[in-house]
Amino acid sequence: MTARDLVEGAFGNIWRMKLRSALTIAGVLIAIAAFTAMLSFGAGGQQYINDQFEEFDLFSIMRVLPGSPDDDEPEVDVAKLDDKAIEQLSRIPGVRNVYPLDAFKVTVYYADTSATVEAQGIPLAAARTKTLSRLTAGTTFESDTASQIIISEDFLRDIGYTGGDSILGQQLIVETQVARLDSGVVKILQVPGDSLRRRLNELEVDSLFAGDYARRLLFREMSDAVARFIDGLLNSRATMRDTLTVCGISPSRRSSPINTRPVLITSHTAQRLNEGKVATDPEDLFYALSTGSLTGGGWDFESRVYPRVSMDVDPHVPYGAITDSVEALGFRVFSFAREFEQVQKMFLFFDLGLAGVGLIALITASLGIANTLIMSILERRREIGVLKALGADDSDIRIMFLVEAACIGVVGSVLGIVTGWLITRLVSFIGRLIMRANEMPEIELFALPLWLIGLGLAFGIIVSLAAGYYPAMRAARLDPVTALRDE
Amino acid sequence: MNQELIKAEQLCRYYSRGNYTIKALDAVDLTIARGEMVGVVGSSGSGKSTLLNLVAGLDTPSAGEVIVGGAHLSKLSRKELARYRAEQVGMVFQSFNLIRHYSALRNIESALYFTDVPREERLDRARELLDKMGLANRGDHRPADLSGGEQQRVAIARALVKRPTVLLADEPSGNLDQTNAQQIATLLKELNLAGQTIVLVTHDLTLAENLCSRIIRLDYGRVVEVLQ
Repeated sequence: MTARDLVEGAFGNIWRMKLRSALTIAGVLIAIAAFTAMLSFGAGGQQYINDQFEEFDLFSIMRVLPGSPDDDEPEVDVAKLDDKAIEQLSRIPGVRNVYPLDAFKVTVYYADTSATVEAQGIPLAAARTKTLSRLTAGTTFESDTASQIIISEDFLRDIGYTGGDSILGQQLIVETQVARLDSGVVKILQVPGDSLRRRLNELEVDSLFAGDYARRLLFREMSDAVARFIDGLLNSRATMRDTLTVCGISPSRRSSPINTRPVLITSHTAQRLNEGKVATDPEDLFYALSTGSLTGGGWDFESRVYPRVSMDVDPHVPYGAITDSVEALGFRVFSFAREFEQVQKMFLFFDLGLAGVGLIALITASLGIANTLIMSILERRREIGVLKALGADDSDIRIMFLVEAACIGVVGSVLGIVTGWLITRLVSFIGRLIMRANEMPEIELFALPLWLIGLGLAFGIIVSLAAGYYPAMRAARLDPVTALRDE
Repeated sequence: MNQELIKAEQLCRYYSRGNYTIKALDAVDLTIARGEMVGVVGSSGSGKSTLLNLVAGLDTPSAGEVIVGGAHLSKLSRKELARYRAEQVGMVFQSFNLIRHYSALRNIESALYFTDVPREERLDRARELLDKMGLANRGDHRPADLSGGEQQRVAIARALVKRPTVLLADEPSGNLDQTNAQQIATLLKELNLAGQTIVLVTHDLTLAENLCSRIIRLDYGRVVEVLQ
C-alpha cells in the first residue's frame, strides 16, 4: 500500500465513524489545547524576559561591588573599588567600558520649584549604551564635558511639570552640599575663650597624678573633639552649584528594568559637584568611614572609593571568563547574563511542570484513542480477514491502524494547537484590559513559537501512536481464517 | 499441457478442542494441473473450505505439504505467504466478503494494494474488469447498493484483477438465486476456457459436474472419491 492509500483509508475510516471519531479527536484536542496554552504561558514569560534583556542590552552589563565572594567577613581587608581598580577592570578582555555608579543627593531648581533627588554621573560612552540611551525625548550628552542633564519622567512628575518635551533645552540649577574635612577640623579647634577658661578653672591640677582622674579627663576631651568634628563635617557644608541644560528625558522607572536615577549628568559634571568630598548623606559618610576612604587617604582626590562600578562588556565573550577575572581582583560581580541563565533554568522547571499537567491530559485522551481503535478492530475483523486473504501481511495491517491513530493525533493536535492559541488570545485580551485598568505596562503574557507548535504536534502524534500500538498489534495478529468466518 | 500446478501430500489439519482432536483434513493427496478446473465436493464439515484455506496459504497444515508452482508453502515465512496470496491467489467467497464501505471499483482495486502495481494501473485494471463484468456504471456503488449477483461478479473481478495463478472459489453461487448462480457458473467456465486454473468448492454436485474436469469428494476430511 502506498502512503496515499494508507492516509486516504485512515481518513475514510475516521470520516465513516463521525461521532466516535469526533469524540476521540475532541479528547486529543482538549489535551493539546491545554498543553499548548500552558506552555505558551511559560514561553510568553520567557520571551518577555528575553526581549527585555535584548532591548536594554542587559547581557552586556555587569555590576562590580566591593568584597570578594569568598570572604566570610567582607568587611575585613576589602579591596577598594577606586580609580585604580576601575583601570584594572577596564583592562580585562571583553570589557568595553567601566564607570562608577556613585549617586549623590542634589537639589534641582526649575523656575520656582525644586526637588531633592539622586544624581548619577556617567561617561559619554555609558550614556550611549542601549540601556541609558533609551530616552523618551531628546538626545544624550553631546560630549563628556557637556553641561547637560538628562531628567526622568518621574522627576518631571515630582516637580509637577506638565509641559512634556518643552523642558528640553531649558536650564536647571543643580545644587549639592558637601561636607569637608577641613570644616570638621576647624570645628575641633573652634573652642570659644569662655569655654576654655571654664575648663581650665575646673581642672584639678593636684589630682592629675592621682587615680583615674586624668584618664577620665582625657576621654571626655577626646569624645568632645570627635563630636565637634562630626558636627563640623555635617553642618558646616560647602554648597556646589551648576547650571545645566536639559538634553533628554529618560523613561519612568516603572517601564525600565534598570534602576536609573532621576537625574543623569556627565561624569565631568558629577566630579565638579561632588569631587573628592563626602556628600551630606550620613550613609555616604558611614560608607566612607567603613571603606577607609575618610581616614585612609580617602580625601585624596586621586583615589576616591566607589560603592559600585558598572561594566559594559562584549556579550559575545563568555561572562564566566570576565566574572572570574573580576573576582580574581577581589571584587564581587553581579551579571545580568548569569541571572538570565538562572531565570532560564527556573523557566525550564516551570515548563516541565506545565508540560507534565498537559501530558496527563494527553494520556487520558490516549485511552480514548485506544478504545476507539479497539472498537474499530472488533467491528472490522472481517475486513481485516479479507485484506489478509487479498495479500496483506501483519505489518500492512499494523501500519494501517497506526496511520489511523496518527491521523487522529494529527487532526486533534492541529485543532488543539489552534484552540490553545485562541484561548491564549482570549486570556491575553482580558489580561491587557486588567493591566490597562490598573495603569500597568501592557505586556504579552503568551507566546507561540514554532518549537511549541512542533512540540504540540509531536506530542499529539507520539501519544496517539503509543495509544494505537496495542490495537494495531492486536489487529495484525488476527487469524484470517477466524476473521473471515465472522458474521 | 498437463503441467502440475498444485500438489498436496498427506495434508492434515487438526484442531484441538479440549481433550478432543478434530481432524478437519486427514492425509489428503491431491494434484491439480495448470489450466484445470477441479471441483471439491462434500457435505458441511467435510473439510472443503479447510483444504481451500491451506492451498490459499491462509492456514497452516498440521502435517503434510502444499506445493504451489514448486513453492512449498510450509517453508514460506508469514511475509512470503502474504506475498504469495497477493500475487498468485484469487479468492471468491460464498458471502462475497466485499468491504462494505468501499465502492465496487475500490473493492476490485484493493486486491492490488499489496502488490507492486502502480496506482494508475490498479485503477485501469479494476475499471477494465468492472466493464467485463457488465458493471461499468456501478463502479461508485457500495456493495449494499448492488444485487447478490452483482456483488459476486465484483468479488470475482477482485479475484481476477491480480491475474492469479489459481482462482479458489468457495461456494461462489451458494448465496445466489438460480439465474445469478447460472451466470456465475458460465463466467467461471469462460475463465477456465481462457486458461485460468480454478478450484471450485461446492456442495452442489451437479454444478461441479457441469463445470469441472475432475471432482474430488471429501468426507470427514478424507478424499473418498475422485470423479473424472
